[in-house]
Amino acid sequence: MLSTDLRNNVLVVRVSERRIDASRAPAFKDEITKCIEAGQNQIVLDLSGVEFIDSSGLGALVSCLKRLGPRGSLAVAGATGAVSRLFTLTRMDKVFTLHPNVDSAVDQLSA
Amino acid sequence: MKIRHTLLILTAFLGIALLVAVSIQIRAELLDYQTAQRLAASNAVREQLLLGTEALANERSQTFVALLDPGRRIGRPGSLEEARRRVDTFLGAAERELKGTAGFISSTDAGLAALARIREDIGGLRRQADTSLASDRPQRGGEFAPRWFQEATRLIGDLQSSRLTLLQQERPLEPTLRAEANLRTQAGILSESIARNQALMSRALMEPGTVEGLEFDAISRNAGRAGLAWELIDGQLGSPLSPSVTAAIAATREDYTSTFAPLQQSLLNSLLSKVPIGIDAAQWYDATDHSLRNIAHLQQELLGSSRNRLEATLRRARLSVLQWSGLLLLGIAAVIGSVLVVRRRVVQPLEALSQTMLRLADNDLSTPLPRLMRADEIGEMNDALRVFKANAIQRERAQNEKQVLHARLRETYRQLRKDLEAAAVIQGAMLPPAAAMGNVSYRGLYRPSSLIAGDTYNVLRRNDGGIGFFQVDVAGHGAAAALVSVACHHTLSQAILTRTQGMRLEEIAAQINNDWPEDLPYFTMILGEIHPRTHQASIVQAGHPSPVVIRSDGLVEMLGEGGFPIGMFPAAAYERLDFEFAPHDRLLIYSDGLVEAEDKDGEQFSEERLRRIVGENATDSTRALLDRLDVAVRTWRGSETLDDDLSVLMLERLPERIPVDAVH
Repeated sequence: MLSTDLRNNVLVVRVSERRIDASRAPAFKDEITKCIEAGQNQIVLDLSGVEFIDSSGLGALVSCLKRLGPRGSLAVAGATGAVSRLFTLTRMDKVFTLHPNVDSAVDQLSA
Repeated sequence: MKIRHTLLILTAFLGIALLVAVSIQIRAELLDYQTAQRLAASNAVREQLLLGTEALANERSQTFVALLDPGRRIGRPGSLEEARRRVDTFLGAAERELKGTAGFISSTDAGLAALARIREDIGGLRRQADTSLASDRPQRGGEFAPRWFQEATRLIGDLQSSRLTLLQQERPLEPTLRAEANLRTQAGILSESIARNQALMSRALMEPGTVEGLEFDAISRNAGRAGLAWELIDGQLGSPLSPSVTAAIAATREDYTSTFAPLQQSLLNSLLSKVPIGIDAAQWYDATDHSLRNIAHLQQELLGSSRNRLEATLRRARLSVLQWSGLLLLGIAAVIGSVLVVRRRVVQPLEALSQTMLRLADNDLSTPLPRLMRADEIGEMNDALRVFKANAIQRERAQNEKQVLHARLRETYRQLRKDLEAAAVIQGAMLPPAAAMGNVSYRGLYRPSSLIAGDTYNVLRRNDGGIGFFQVDVAGHGAAAALVSVACHHTLSQAILTRTQGMRLEEIAAQINNDWPEDLPYFTMILGEIHPRTHQASIVQAGHPSPVVIRSDGLVEMLGEGGFPIGMFPAAAYERLDFEFAPHDRLLIYSDGLVEAEDKDGEQFSEERLRRIVGENATDSTRALLDRLDVAVRTWRGSETLDDDLSVLMLERLPERIPVDAVH
């Protein structure tokens, strides 16, 4: 479901699923939580392949963000379409730092 | 055909084939035995006849010389009676033997009749001889003697032909036996020739002057016949003969050629040339007796040898019959034993296994297995069947357990569903039915994705106449979301009803958000109010889809940019959106279940499609518009089911009524 890649000490997590909905949200949350517990606090979530996130998926994202706490940062890259609209509608664009692509997100986090 | 029949028929067939083969052999052996028996019987009769013939020849000689010589100078006193007794004994024995063979030798009756006649004739002859011997006239004996000799010779010939008839009927095939039979006949001829000359020469020697030519001829002929007999005997010497027989022949021949034949020849020559003769009749008679005894000894050897051979053959044949009969009995026992073993060791266990298998196949697992304590293939089959049965029993038990579990699950599910249905009724009852309240009318559309939903809405009138309303969509769906939605319903309803003067809408939202327990799921909502005295309305949009305003003239607007959901971040701030809401304006608020409903290809119903439908049908009544939306979503989905809860609430400001007191 997720593939990870460490770039400049930033963990890039690519979501290979097209949807993050109620059936996938718990697993998604567990995997990200594992990364955080392993000591990663600079995380870029690559959502360029995701087409839809429902309320459970959004809950999981927020839960990861809370788990990361103020020391770390969770940036979102490549959100488009329905995902982007959801972020706007729920004001998550104010909570997560949104980037058009992974590179700019990594650049900012590693700066 | 069952395997039982095949095996038993095969075994029986093999057994019968074996028995038939042995029976045929036994029949052949029995025939051999009968042949040997016949040969032995025939030989026994012929033996007695031969001895009887010899004895009769001896009696003939003794009687002949007695008739010629009333003074009894020749022969031993009393020997005539002994000779007659021997004749009677042998012929009697021959008769008994012949009677004893009645079962297996043909023409026994003819032989017996011939023998009886011969004995009768002998009796008659003897009586005549006795009469002559007892006569006072010495010449009378001499007159009767030639006739006696002739008749006795004829009877001897009859006995010999009887014997030869028997020999013809039962001719032995074995070379030694044949040679011995031939030798006996030839020795008989020899003996007869010598015996005749014993008598004839004795008479010639008694009265040498009276001998006639015919008598010489007879003596010469007999001598010639004796020589011929010797040639025939010599002809048989190439045959396989026993050493004792060969020795007896050699001894007889030695006596004949060195003693008897020269004596006979010299006597014949002396008689013919009428020169004085060195020996008298008595001496000749004794010398002849010696030769005859030699021949009799030879005959005894031959008879003994034949008898022994035949008895040995008979014994062998009997033993053979017994052996084959024993084999037959063994064969029968083997066949019966085989059938029994095949039945007991193969057929019965197989049938028992087959019956058990059929019953097990019929699912009769209580069927006991056959008790076979065996290590062979049938034992292995039984073991396999035992494992099969154990597995079947285990399978059946597992199946039963599964069925019990299944029934329990079904019951639990039924109970749960009953609970959920009851909960759904309660949840449905919490939603306000379509109604008008003050100058606001409203109507909802409510479609849970399962029995109960995380969506809820309400419309309330406060004491100051304002109309408060909300729509909530709890994150997730199902029972947990439904329970939380009930809590939301209560909290928001109370917040609307107990709102203090001057407390703004966004402050209510912020307070609920702040108070919301962190471990409950968050929710999105539209919280709003329609002001009773102005043509204004306000909403707070907390992560909920943007509502649609349908103006009385048919124009359609989307309201709001979004906002934080409730219960996600405690410190979140909320904004109030005020907008004009004139009479016949309508507000349509909906949960994301409407715009995110997917068709079978995964495409969402979308805000754009909602807006278009609403725009195209803006003049429809609220009820007609909601029905149209409902149908549109069902058509879009292509089914009656939903992935997420769907709810829509429409509110309309009614035209202002002229207050009653204003009329005056």
